[in-house]
Amino acid sequence: MALQAGGMAMDTASRVRALARFRMGDALFRQITRAAAVAVLILLGGVILALVEGAWPALRTFGVSFLATQSWNPVTEKFGALAPIYGTLVTSLIAMVIAVPFGLLIALFLTELCPKMLRRPIGIAIELLAGIPSIIYGIWGLFVLAPFLQVYVQPALIATLGDVPGIGYLFAGPPYGIGMLTAGLILAIMVLPFITSIARDVFEAVPAVLKEAAYGLGCTMWEVIRHVVLPYTRVGVIGGVMLGLGRALGETMAVTFVIGNAHKIMPSLFAPGTTISATIANEFTEAVGGLYTSSLVALGLILFVITFIVLAAARYLLLRIEKRSGG
Amino acid sequence: MSIASFAMPPVAATVATDHSRLNEKIVIRDLDFHYGEVRALKSVSLPLYANRATAFIGPSGCGKSTLLRVLNRMYDLYPNQRATGEVLFDGDNILAPGIDLNLLRARIGMVFQKPTPFPMTIYENIAFGIRLYEKLSKSELDGRVERALRRAALWDEVKDKLSASGLSLSGGQQQRLCIARAVALRPEVILFDEPCSALDPISTARIEELIDELKDTYMIVIVTHNMQQAARVSDFTAFMYLGELIEFGATAGIFTSPRDPRTQDYITGRFG
Repeated sequence: MALQAGGMAMDTASRVRALARFRMGDALFRQITRAAAVAVLILLGGVILALVEGAWPALRTFGVSFLATQSWNPVTEKFGALAPIYGTLVTSLIAMVIAVPFGLLIALFLTELCPKMLRRPIGIAIELLAGIPSIIYGIWGLFVLAPFLQVYVQPALIATLGDVPGIGYLFAGPPYGIGMLTAGLILAIMVLPFITSIARDVFEAVPAVLKEAAYGLGCTMWEVIRHVVLPYTRVGVIGGVMLGLGRALGETMAVTFVIGNAHKIMPSLFAPGTTISATIANEFTEAVGGLYTSSLVALGLILFVITFIVLAAARYLLLRIEKRSGG
Repeated sequence: MSIASFAMPPVAATVATDHSRLNEKIVIRDLDFHYGEVRALKSVSLPLYANRATAFIGPSGCGKSTLLRVLNRMYDLYPNQRATGEVLFDGDNILAPGIDLNLLRARIGMVFQKPTPFPMTIYENIAFGIRLYEKLSKSELDGRVERALRRAALWDEVKDKLSASGLSLSGGQQQRLCIARAVALRPEVILFDEPCSALDPISTARIEELIDELKDTYMIVIVTHNMQQAARVSDFTAFMYLGELIEFGATAGIFTSPRDPRTQDYITGRFG
């Protein structure tokens, strides 16, 4: 190169050396980041492989009927996953039905209405709720919430909603205290902070001028929230809801404490049931025999698949929304 | 342009300085404005005339946007901001407590510095505001949307994609969409807060042209950094500096023979 000629030679040489050093640093950095990303894929693949391998004996023995059978009998070694799958889906559904509206309302209050002075204390309190270990939720659920529900809430629900045609069967039967509804409530409390804090962050990201434009048309606060804030943030809000749902599906300890751990599908929400993760946690220590253990691993695989389906569905939903609103 | 369709009493082709025909639609008296402890407006008084465009000019931070935001009480959204004094809109003090803010903001539309289309379709962006106040049939609503888009010189560009997102338009189109949205509510006043500062020169020219047409029907108040723009679109100009109104008068007069030396310095580009 022309630059390397003449009196610049010394300078240029050191420049070339420095550049080579930078290039090596760049290449090294590229390799490290790639290795980190690949490591995650390998881990994920390994987990899937181990799950499939562990679940194989059970899947081979029971076939598709594993998904459709209720019985869970370690003595006769007849296992079916229907009751835990049902319990997982129903408790998560209860949790979302309660936590999503509450979480969004809290987030809207914090971003739109709350006086500045209260904003931080309430925000911190909600984040603390996320920091409570799930075992504590379990103990609290078993010793405080369940008796309270048994004495006050469930009898009232039975007396009022129990006779309503169509949904009455959901609120029938004796009030045990523990059961599906209690588990769903505990889950709702546990996922509430996730939904709230994500929703708060995305609501705060709405440009002030966009809200001003809506107020400038003479919108009321509700109209601004309904027509501008929520549509603008729906992608982020759905992301937060899905994160909460993912947590609700997999939550183990607190649910195990309050759900009753019965391998039965009962129509009433007050009846005890079980979830996938609760079953695994409860029975792993006593699972003797290959088929028993394998059935538990198969449950884990099913939970993995359910979570995957939920995430994929969320992605698909977001894609649809983006397409409809024209990006 | 369908000038004939403007439902307005004919405004005689008056010269801007013909004060005898001027109608003081808004009168600002001794207006003070505070952001917390900071006094952003100092005893500002001026009239704003119906069917005229008034420009607020001045260097950054002089309070011209603040003054604009008092007129539709946008500052009310934020705690610690307060205005004292009087702003008479058709004789009623809009700073008085008990004023219906939603109604006020429907009568006084606003267009912002950055285009602010709502996250919905082009059609809905216009129809949304109309529906807040009026129950119309589908065909009536369609007509209103079309008229508003025509008024904002956007109809021909969007008539085939009304169901596309408002965000899919270019910056200049988005800004005209926002103007159409303001026009659709049939306000009496439209406030422009530096409406062209985020736009390219061609879009800017279109918006200026539009403002010029709109003032046949509406009272226009425009905040601008661009002196040529003020000279081009406005009939009256208010020069503000450090929260004070330095000089107010017919635009031609302000730009050709300013009375105050600070106005002279600013418009000749010596500061600001």
